[in-house]
Amino acid sequence: MNRLPAKKLGKIAHARPVEIVGISSDCGRAGRLAALGFLPGRRVRISRIAPLGDPISIEMEGQEISLRRAEADLIEVKEIA
Amino acid sequence: MTAAIHAKKRPVRVALLGNPNTGKSTVFNRLTGLRQHIANYPGITVEKKTGALLLGGHQMEILDLPGAYSLAAASPDERVVMDALGGRAGHRAPDLIVCVLDATNIKRNLLLVSEAAELEIPMLVVLNQWDAAKRNGLRINTGLLADRLGVPVITTVAKRGAGLGELKKAIGHAVSDPRRIPRILWPDFVDHARDAVRNGLSEAGVDVTGPEALRMIFDTDSAFADKIGHREKLAPLLKAAREKIRSHGLNPASAEPVLHYRHIEALLEGVIEGDDMVARSRDSVDALLLNRFWGTLIFFAVMYVVFESLYAWAGPLMNLIGAGTKLVQSMVSPLLAGTPALQSLVTDGIIAGVGAVLVFLPQILLLFFFIAILEDTGYLARAAFLMDKLFGWCGLNGKSFVPLLSGYACAIPGIMAARTLEDPKARLTTILMTPFMSCSARLPVYVLLIGAFVEPVYGPLAAGCVLFLMHFVGATVAMPLAWFMNRCILKIKAQPFILEMPDYRIPTLRNVVIRMWERGRAFLIQAGTVILAISVIVWALLYFPRPEEVANKARAAFVAEKSETMPTDVLSTDLKKPDSDLSKKLGHRIESAYIEQSYLGQFGKAVQPVFDPAGFDWKITVGVLSSFPAREVIIATLGIIYDLGADVNEGSDDLRTNIAREKWRDGPRKGQPVYTLPVVIGLMVFFALCMQCGATVAVIAKELGWKWALASFTTMTVIAWLAAVLIYQIGSRL
Repeated sequence: MNRLPAKKLGKIAHARPVEIVGISSDCGRAGRLAALGFLPGRRVRISRIAPLGDPISIEMEGQEISLRRAEADLIEVKEIA
Repeated sequence: MTAAIHAKKRPVRVALLGNPNTGKSTVFNRLTGLRQHIANYPGITVEKKTGALLLGGHQMEILDLPGAYSLAAASPDERVVMDALGGRAGHRAPDLIVCVLDATNIKRNLLLVSEAAELEIPMLVVLNQWDAAKRNGLRINTGLLADRLGVPVITTVAKRGAGLGELKKAIGHAVSDPRRIPRILWPDFVDHARDAVRNGLSEAGVDVTGPEALRMIFDTDSAFADKIGHREKLAPLLKAAREKIRSHGLNPASAEPVLHYRHIEALLEGVIEGDDMVARSRDSVDALLLNRFWGTLIFFAVMYVVFESLYAWAGPLMNLIGAGTKLVQSMVSPLLAGTPALQSLVTDGIIAGVGAVLVFLPQILLLFFFIAILEDTGYLARAAFLMDKLFGWCGLNGKSFVPLLSGYACAIPGIMAARTLEDPKARLTTILMTPFMSCSARLPVYVLLIGAFVEPVYGPLAAGCVLFLMHFVGATVAMPLAWFMNRCILKIKAQPFILEMPDYRIPTLRNVVIRMWERGRAFLIQAGTVILAISVIVWALLYFPRPEEVANKARAAFVAEKSETMPTDVLSTDLKKPDSDLSKKLGHRIESAYIEQSYLGQFGKAVQPVFDPAGFDWKITVGVLSSFPAREVIIATLGIIYDLGADVNEGSDDLRTNIAREKWRDGPRKGQPVYTLPVVIGLMVFFALCMQCGATVAVIAKELGWKWALASFTTMTVIAWLAAVLIYQIGSRL
């Protein structure tokens, strides 16, 4: 498998499925995101964008969670090859 | 170890634990009915809900813990769950934890359970929303799950009451046969890190439990570490522990959820079958409700209905309460005619005060009717999603919209509605911003002043524009203030704005009624008493000292003035008839003299110099001061001061003429009109920004404590004064 560079989830195009690589921060918010299930290996996609461009709604394992882009950017993802 | 819980003769404590949106509160309502008690946890703004349940001869005390995704706590507000479970901070540890899980999302819901299992308290697992799980095509092997967890697993549909009988039976059974979920087996390096922290702390004379030590290691911003203190000892211990975790290839900030999820995934192996990714009905509804165009349109339509209900539909009910108050006053008043002071206390102080409390009820009940429906259907989360961007920049979030909008009708229900915000910082900011919104009680002041000074000079179009603009003064000041407060004053750490999009559900009448009832009751008991007390105090300040000679002097002056224009005998016969025009005028003149002599009147004259830079004379000052308990009172006060009696309204031509005619009687501005345009605009802006509402202060005190209530009151008053002074000083120089 070719090594794709990690990207920030907040920067991914609408509806494109990606895989979580990890959480880039070691601040308290990282723990919150992990507790919600944003874990390495899980597949996510941006399912909806609010009319004003932020926040974004993220689909993961059948649940939908909305985050602000600033927080979604803490989640590192890679394209699914 | 399976000793029965009920050994001691005290109520069995049962804590309900669960994520947000699991229907936990519905389970709580079902278990306790209306036998609930709502209070605040001491020192923080989180609500403590307890209820009683009698089960098989055992008295149970049910505690509904705040919904949480994990036990991680960065603020004292979030620490409540861990404190309550660990028996810290004045809590007694529960005898049984009932974990309420959303059956459609068991894996994520189990994280909190797995964390709590660390405390080794007997547990019971409830899979709620069982119907939705079946609808979504999930097949859950509850027997296998119960075996793996080692505790009973009950399935319920709490909103319909299904499975509640089994749940009660299971709770009763757990009393005599408590079961525990085995703790997660940590990797050795976590055990070592935990023991190192405990040992290090016990050398400093601080004892923490194993679970608490883990929380401090895993939570980067740990509210426990903050509480325990000994920072110089603790910081290096935690740093070493985190380094140890990092050296095993885990990010210490997310290590705990990662390890728990590994444990949970193994535990759930073969338990859940069926397509978890099933496209749900919500997707098609969301496509409409969250659509850029239609979603926004629907949002504003829904909010219009909510607002209209507070602004217009509540009106008749409020008028009814007002009329009822007047009726009771007129019935009671003659009974006490012999003792005028008591008569006035009972009618103008107590009965008027009770009326002033009750008048808020229609709006509170209506708003919580809508909030219960919006929340239970799942729309409130969508509304917050749509609007978040508008508010995020100044520390509020999308859920602030409903409280702030409600504030345009009345701050009281708005502030209470801020309970829908989970994030403590955003909730605090929202509560403090709500009183800035232009509530309906400000309207009479605008109408009076615009009608008297703007409309006659600049025409109806300008009057309409000014009235419209006045509604945005508060919000324009409040939003930057919120931004500043968040940046520079509040030290609460910001939490990520996490919004779950729950499935759409049909609300149940039962839940809606309970919500309305508990809010209305809490308002009457906690805020109502304070509002009543304020009403009586202000009555006393406006009534006393009331010396006889004030009336005599006013009467003599009135007679002397009138006898210049009419024959003395006509005057004296007219004054003997209590219903004559002249007697009424005399009565108004005496009331006016009394108010000038009252403690509040004297105080107004004394502090007039403070308001002088804003161009306010003593009459405006007294009007402003008397309207601190309730801003609409200024109309009645001005009526009394201008010899028209208290029974005037903002549309009164007499009042408009009288204030327009008012001139300075002495001082440097002698002979000039008091109400110039800068004074009028300044006065309106003062009313827009000042917290002249005792009920709001009382409700903020109930929600956030007296410290915040007084800070908010002081800040708003100072800002209002500054704005009025600025407008007058600049305006009168132009």
